[in-house]
Amino acid sequence: MYIYKSWISLIDDAAGGFEAASNILLLGPSMSYAEQLAYALVKPLPGEYSIVLSTNERSAEVVDYFKFAGIDKHFVGVIDAITKSSMPSIADTQRLMFVTSPTDLTGIGIKFSNMIESIFEGTFSEDESGLFPPPIRFCVNSISTLLMYRRLDVLYQFLHILTAKLKKIEGIGVYVLNNESFDDRTISLIKQLMNLVIEVKVEGNDNFFRVTGIRSINADWKKFTVTKGQVTILP
Amino acid sequence: MYGIDDMLGGGIPEGSKVLYSMEPGVDAQLFMISTLYEALAKDLSCLVILPHTTVDAFLHDAETLRGSRMDTTGKTIVFFDAVDRERIQRYAKDRKTAAREWLGRINKLCRETRIDIIFGYFDIIYEDFGLKQGIELLSSIQSRNKPTIIIEHLNFEGEKILKKFIGEMAFDLVISIPSSSRPFPHFNFFTILHTSWSPQPKRSVPFMITAGRIIPYIPKIVVTGPPESGKSVFVAHASDHGLSVDRKGSSGETTTVAMDFGWLHRKDFDITLYGTPGQPRFDPMIQVLLKNAMGVVLIIDATKRDQLARARHLIQIITGLKVPLVIAANKNDLPGCLSESEIRDNLGIADTIPVFSISAQRKEDVLRVLESLVDFITQFLY
Repeated sequence: MYIYKSWISLIDDAAGGFEAASNILLLGPSMSYAEQLAYALVKPLPGEYSIVLSTNERSAEVVDYFKFAGIDKHFVGVIDAITKSSMPSIADTQRLMFVTSPTDLTGIGIKFSNMIESIFEGTFSEDESGLFPPPIRFCVNSISTLLMYRRLDVLYQFLHILTAKLKKIEGIGVYVLNNESFDDRTISLIKQLMNLVIEVKVEGNDNFFRVTGIRSINADWKKFTVTKGQVTILP
Repeated sequence: MYGIDDMLGGGIPEGSKVLYSMEPGVDAQLFMISTLYEALAKDLSCLVILPHTTVDAFLHDAETLRGSRMDTTGKTIVFFDAVDRERIQRYAKDRKTAAREWLGRINKLCRETRIDIIFGYFDIIYEDFGLKQGIELLSSIQSRNKPTIIIEHLNFEGEKILKKFIGEMAFDLVISIPSSSRPFPHFNFFTILHTSWSPQPKRSVPFMITAGRIIPYIPKIVVTGPPESGKSVFVAHASDHGLSVDRKGSSGETTTVAMDFGWLHRKDFDITLYGTPGQPRFDPMIQVLLKNAMGVVLIIDATKRDQLARARHLIQIITGLKVPLVIAANKNDLPGCLSESEIRDNLGIADTIPVFSISAQRKEDVLRVLESLVDFITQFLY
């Protein structure tokens, strides 16, 4: 089974990375490094692909993040649920696709399928690696925004289908959820769809994370920072 | 829509309630968009309810999908969009108030207009009001006539909700477009689950999207029959494009040693033809070629009674597969042909299996057989 490097030494040293078909919930408060950590986790290695569903920032900003992290943007696709509301005539490209708002789960589902299909068909990027099935990292940033637009039970059904599809194609998914904005029932329901949970907390000016779901790693809080897409664990 | 209207007995009757039910991830928004384009082309006045998007974004998406701008010049089309919904959401305290405000706003939009068709993107309506109230809301829109209601719905609930649409909600036409079980599909298919105006059984048809159109697709029709009955000629004359793998046989005639392959567009369907060899030594290969066939044409040389035993054997193989079968009695331009009743008696086939007297040299004969088979396929209960 393919192992996806996590880019976090603690995880990669202990477990080699994330097993294919993992779905990872990233819980963190606002103003934390949760979002940067999510993007860092889905940075594609050569031969891999990343797809980001962005409900919070424009695709240009998402692509910039990966560019600054030294990633070839030709292997990064973005489903942008922000830009089209102000630019209705913006056209899809192979790697940048647009839906009008996070409300449009039909559109999001179709764009996700289309991107996966183009990766499998080898038309996503000019420089395909030939790995099959192609390793795909998928990030939803964020479930919190989707929950503001759609009811929990509807979103649960939608995420159930997305996570199942990720498993089937042996990809990994990282889903960002603000744990300060939603009640325990919501969080525990979303957790049911996941194999791993990474929590982020902020104390003073410091960010900490802990991982639940990998046996070889204890669930202690680790201080960390993210700079240009690099996750560094601090003493 | 190409081919689909024929399957529905000519189209959708006025005043019907229609559901296009899409499973998540299926790129099938063109069903609704195509219906809207056709309605406008027929000068029908339309109300489009799209609470998930804005009018400008919708028009742009429709143009991208269809490949042409929606022609609204001189047409009557009114929209209720995400902006309208948000405005109502801001001050409506509860579901009941929201429903009243929705209806008020829509009726105001339609006041000066005789609405023929209501197009509703149902996801948000369902989420905001529930199934029953959502449909009631659409049904209570004031119009001078009884408008046709067409909705597109993202189906997370599978058959359960489809049964409700058919039973409790009394929808007249329910078309389901399921998602592929594979990571990505070779082709999608739609299933006509229910039509209130015709007794046709549930049936599924693969489709492809080509140049902004939904094209029903028959991925495999097999053409088989005894040796030298005219299979390769049939495939060659049927196809817009094709090829044949032949070698010279002991009789001096060419014989197919692998298969014939052809592609054609007919009766609004894209069709792929596979012609088999005829000799018994190729039987294992014929069975492989028959796998997943949607229909079979069995060709016999109507001037050769001695071929009928071989034809009977092939019919035995085919009937085990439970696929539509038609018989083409070839070479009717030559003397000494068997009559239809002689063929039926000798082959022992049921009256439901059509027998065509043809010459495979005549393209119109060949296409008549295929058109009949396409009709058979679209009505066949697989």
